[in-house]
Amino acid sequence: MLEAVGDVGYEGTSVRTVLDRTELYRQAFYDSFSSKEDCFLQAYDDGVERVEAAILRAAAGESGWRGQLRAGLGALLEFLDSEPDVGRALIVEVHPAGAEALAKRTAALERARIFLDQGRAEAALNGNGPPQLAPEAIASGIHMIVHSRLAAGDCDGFRALLPELMYVAVLPYFGPEAAKREMGLS
Amino acid sequence: MESPISTYAPRTRREQVLGAMVQVAAAEGYESVRVAEVAARAGISEEEFGRMFASKSACFLESYDAVIDVLLAHVAAAFEASFGEPWQDRVVAGLRALVELLAVKAEIARMAIVEVTAIGEDARIRYRAALERFVPFLEEGRTVGARGEDLPEETARFAIGSATAMIFNEIRSGRGAEMQRILPDLVFAVMTPYLGVEAAEAEMRRVGG
Repeated sequence: MLEAVGDVGYEGTSVRTVLDRTELYRQAFYDSFSSKEDCFLQAYDDGVERVEAAILRAAAGESGWRGQLRAGLGALLEFLDSEPDVGRALIVEVHPAGAEALAKRTAALERARIFLDQGRAEAALNGNGPPQLAPEAIASGIHMIVHSRLAAGDCDGFRALLPELMYVAVLPYFGPEAAKREMGLS
Repeated sequence: MESPISTYAPRTRREQVLGAMVQVAAAEGYESVRVAEVAARAGISEEEFGRMFASKSACFLESYDAVIDVLLAHVAAAFEASFGEPWQDRVVAGLRALVELLAVKAEIARMAIVEVTAIGEDARIRYRAALERFVPFLEEGRTVGARGEDLPEETARFAIGSATAMIFNEIRSGRGAEMQRILPDLVFAVMTPYLGVEAAEAEMRRVGG
């Protein structure tokens, strides 16, 4: 489902498309899903869960917010490099998929915001108090960069974006010097 | 302030039809738009509509372009009117013009910014292209901070993404008519990547945040 949607778009995908790709019978499809939308919603949950698991797994191997962020963002970008169609389904094609899909998207962005804002405590130790808006601005900004590339089909080398994304994410929490260091490190 | 409505009044019959399409789509949602209603509102027959536009969606996409042109012209005018002033002031002027227009035209803003993402690929391409057109305004910010050349290539897109997400959320939460309230937040989101947090916070406080 996600590959089909990422490939031909949500509107262009029908139950037939999914059946053709999976070699399932129609009855088998409707045993598990009530409709195309229901199938997409379940696939969306599944896809987001896979991405988040990859991010958390990568981050778990690191200590410190910046290390975890670098590893987590790296995992996200590698996922997009290896499965751009799934990435496009989750990030771009979720928009035409209806209100429930959009609510799931909002919830996923909120989890990203919380993940990012773990930097707040560490920044406080250094005497920095990032504004309340910082994590939302970072999550949305990164989302925009990734979204515009996926939407334009410009899917070569997401991994190469890591230095820039680290720069913009670290800047509000630790200031320009630390941000520049991160850009060099990544 | 001169009303944006009068500034961008339709001049031709075609523009009247485009204006009617925008009004109907904003009020009822694109799916519910009937050509007959748009034609009636513009004072033409359905046959005339058919001679002007190949389809409902062709008319909608052209009207969408017009909405975006107005929005961009309005922001650009504010930005240009403050030519010679510091970049920060010009960005504030542009953002202020943006939120004022979005608030006055809340229904159209909802259609152009939130619903457009569900209307179809052609509309989404236009929306993304529209966002790209804000890049040059922001990129002048590279000449302001000491770190201009070191800034990531994607800085403008990042800043636009932060700002758009806030606007999107306000509209979705039903607060589109009070968009001026988030002007300080937008100033902060747009300026932080260019100037750093402290300078951006100072700018935010200057506009009342």
